Amino acid sequence: MDCREIMKYISDYIDRELEDALREVFEEHIRICRKCRTNLHSMEKTIFISKFIYKEEKIPKKVEETLYYRVRMRYKK
Amino acid sequence: MDEIELVEKAKLGDTKAFEELMKRTQDKIYNLGIKFFGNKEDAADLLQETYIKAYESLPNFEGRSSFSTWLYRIATNFALMKLRKEKMKKVSIEELKELSDGSKDSIDFYDWSENPYLHYKNEELKEILNEAINSLPPKYKTIFILHDIEGLSIQEVAKILSLSVPTVKTRIHRSRLYLREKLSEYFKKKGN
Repeated sequence: MDCREIMKYISDYIDRELEDALREVFEEHIRICRKCRTNLHSMEKTIFISKFIYKEEKIPKKVEETLYYRVRMRYKK
Repeated sequence: MDEIELVEKAKLGDTKAFEELMKRTQDKIYNLGIKFFGNKEDAADLLQETYIKAYESLPNFEGRSSFSTWLYRIATNFALMKLRKEKMKKVSIEELKELSDGSKDSIDFYDWSENPYLHYKNEELKEILNEAINSLPPKYKTIFILHDIEGLSIQEVAKILSLSVPTVKTRIHRSRLYLREKLSEYFKKKGN
């Protein structure tokens, strides 16, 4: 497997979607190829950072009231 | 009471059961809206439209997926429609294709893995990434958010969006390459 092919499988590897045999070939390449290792790590770090962008928020009281009001209006129809 | 029982009661017209289902899922759907749109007003719209649609469609809900997966489907379809209407396509699909085909730029990658600015508490970095996510075409953005941020499996995302698994995988890969490229531009400016 050359670097170009490795590139195609990076996301599948991250998502644990590679079959065992292919995963072993992939990991062996990553172990010896610095360029592909960097590629993989940067991809993983991109995903990792993206998980910290959003802070989970509580629904504002007013939004919640409107939600229940609007849904309850449907009960009557 | 578990979700299946609540759904069964709600389908028989028990509004209290439906409201209990709402209470259990509403924060998740609201936050999904914030991720899709980046603002609270549109998130509130998405929240309301999702539950109104869910209530109206409840008789058709067959329970082949969980109630929350079904809600994700309604919410994501609403978001896709709205995002497309707003023409948030700041990046052409062609540009994403170019990034995805294993081009030289993707392989000869600028190494920022040891950059001191690479830290999850770096607000500037998160802002750059947030802008990049918002500039993704809707069909890529929704998949990236559902899979990489919300943590839904590829199979779940495929089901929610009625897409094939290979299509979801391709879109996730392209989105990641694009976002990583945006981070590379940031790190190049910062220098190692």
